[in-house]
Amino acid sequence: MREALLSARNVSVRFGGLVAVDGVHLDVHAGELVGIIGPNGAGKTTFFHTLSGVLVPTAGRVVVAGEDLTGLPPHAYASHGVARTFQTPRVFKEMSAEDNVRFGLEFAGRTRQHPHDAFDEAGTILEFLGLADAAALPAGGLTPARQRLLEIGMALGARPRVLLLDEVAAGLSHAEVDATAQLIRRVRDQLGLAVIWIEHAVRVLMNYVERVAVLHQGAKIADGDPRQVAKDPAVIEAYLGEEGGAERKAA
Amino acid sequence: MRLRNAMLAVLTVGIALAALPWLLSDFLLALALSCIMYAGLAVSWALFCGATNYLSLATAAFFGLGAYVTAWGAGALPYGLSVLAGGMLAAAFAALIGAAVLHLRGAYFAVITFGLGELVRHAITYYEKAYEGTVGRIIAEAPETTTVYWTVLLVSAGAVATAFAVRESRLGLALRGIGSDEERAQTLGVNARRSKVLAFALSAFFAGALGAAMAVRWTYIDPPTVFNPFIGFQTVLIAMVGGAHTIIGPIASAVVFSLLTEFLRLQFPYLFLTLLGLLLILLVLYLPGGLASLIERWRIGDRWRWRRGNA
Ligand SMILES: Nc1ncnc2c1ncn2[C@@H]1O[C@H](COP(=O)(O)OP(=O)(O)O)[C@@H](O)[C@H]1O
Ligand SMILES: [Mg+2]
Repeated sequence: MREALLSARNVSVRFGGLVAVDGVHLDVHAGELVGIIGPNGAGKTTFFHTLSGVLVPTAGRVVVAGEDLTGLPPHAYASHGVARTFQTPRVFKEMSAEDNVRFGLEFAGRTRQHPHDAFDEAGTILEFLGLADAAALPAGGLTPARQRLLEIGMALGARPRVLLLDEVAAGLSHAEVDATAQLIRRVRDQLGLAVIWIEHAVRVLMNYVERVAVLHQGAKIADGDPRQVAKDPAVIEAYLGEEGGAERKAA
Repeated sequence: MRLRNAMLAVLTVGIALAALPWLLSDFLLALALSCIMYAGLAVSWALFCGATNYLSLATAAFFGLGAYVTAWGAGALPYGLSVLAGGMLAAAFAALIGAAVLHLRGAYFAVITFGLGELVRHAITYYEKAYEGTVGRIIAEAPETTTVYWTVLLVSAGAVATAFAVRESRLGLALRGIGSDEERAQTLGVNARRSKVLAFALSAFFAGALGAAMAVRWTYIDPPTVFNPFIGFQTVLIAMVGGAHTIIGPIASAVVFSLLTEFLRLQFPYLFLTLLGLLLILLVLYLPGGLASLIERWRIGDRWRWRRGNA
């Protein structure tokens, strides 16, 4: 079996008495598009924080391409090829959209070359995301939906090997979600990235990923083929009372 | 291209200013010296603090350290070397404290840099008393006023050129990212700690070198004179009034302030300090980007009008 590009080994995060992430194992390989779903407060974002070095896990290890990065600062993760978006966009507001994308290219992305090198310029990335017209505008002035797209552009600028997307489809219309999903698949196919995509709405993800993991109260309760996972009694249990009832029928 | 033009401008203005000793009276030359010193201090302060939104009150400490290098080396070290060594000592000190406290932000960082400055002042006072048996030092052989003027001009021009170079460099981009959202910058690959320590030390180098260069202007040097917090506050005020995220802003503001200080302080000392305080309050409340941001706002407004006109 190939070595995983990203490997979370028994990762836990505690906030005082609260266990936000509870012993999660997750291996992701190059070219994989993995979804993570779970109700609000399940620990998805906190799990991403540990995968990007923003938070040091209370227990467990994070291994990237065979190298144990646990405890290192975020820039070490970035230079090993882990790039992420933030659920609430954290673009550099005063900088132009173009500089926001250029930022990753100048730092984490500087040492790595993509195999196809389609995304070696801020302009190309903005065009790909449909943000070309906003290139010179201050990022803080863009609509929230476009800032979320720009977040993806910033991460792509870092020339990732592993791309972590935190609820990039939130607040988008059905058509927009579909466009974003196509875009994510295209990036994955073109660059051979490992992509982990968090979404708390079940329906959004199930149609687009080949594998999905479910977090519930910090623990991973399922991981596998979306159709199998959707039928899993533990998952149905976890989503009961959430918006899940209707969503599951649709999926 | 932008950088080359900026460097040419610095060179041209520097050469023009180098001619002032032949044109100005002693009094006016001293005034020019003060303008140029504050321009150098404010630009080097803004080099780090403007981009990163840090508020450092350590300028007086760096300046004083530099001045003491000249005082200690007087007679042994040539003037030019003292200036270089003063800058390097200040930079080394900044790197050391920077590595320890640059993870702090806002008021904490401001207070601790001010405290560290006081610490250095007391440490030097103690050292001089206990081991050298003196409270102050006399600098017997001071270089010519013109030599001091040209040296200060060189250091300040160096600070301005460095500020332009940093702004166009990856370090400058990293600092702006850190100022905007440090954690986001880190997740895109910026080694925040290294960038901050480097820029903080670079900015301290010029403050230290200016202290070392100016030290010979006082024939008698003691800690209260050269670690004067007023120099630090004045620098911060000048940079903030001018617009700390720009380079031209602090320069223009340094000239205006130094001239105002000279005339108003002599004529109406209390009124002057009151005005300074008032200005700072108004600034923090209504114009945190400094006067340069007014000009920017006006320019952007202009562009919008222009676009609409064409649409
Ligand atoms: N910095 C923090 N301090 C304390 N509790 C936190 C912190 N961040 C998140 N939590 C808690 O951890 C749990 C998981 O949050 P989060 O990872 O944001 O969930 P999700 O992204 O799945 O909605 C929640 O109960 C949340 O309130
Ligand atoms: Mg979340």
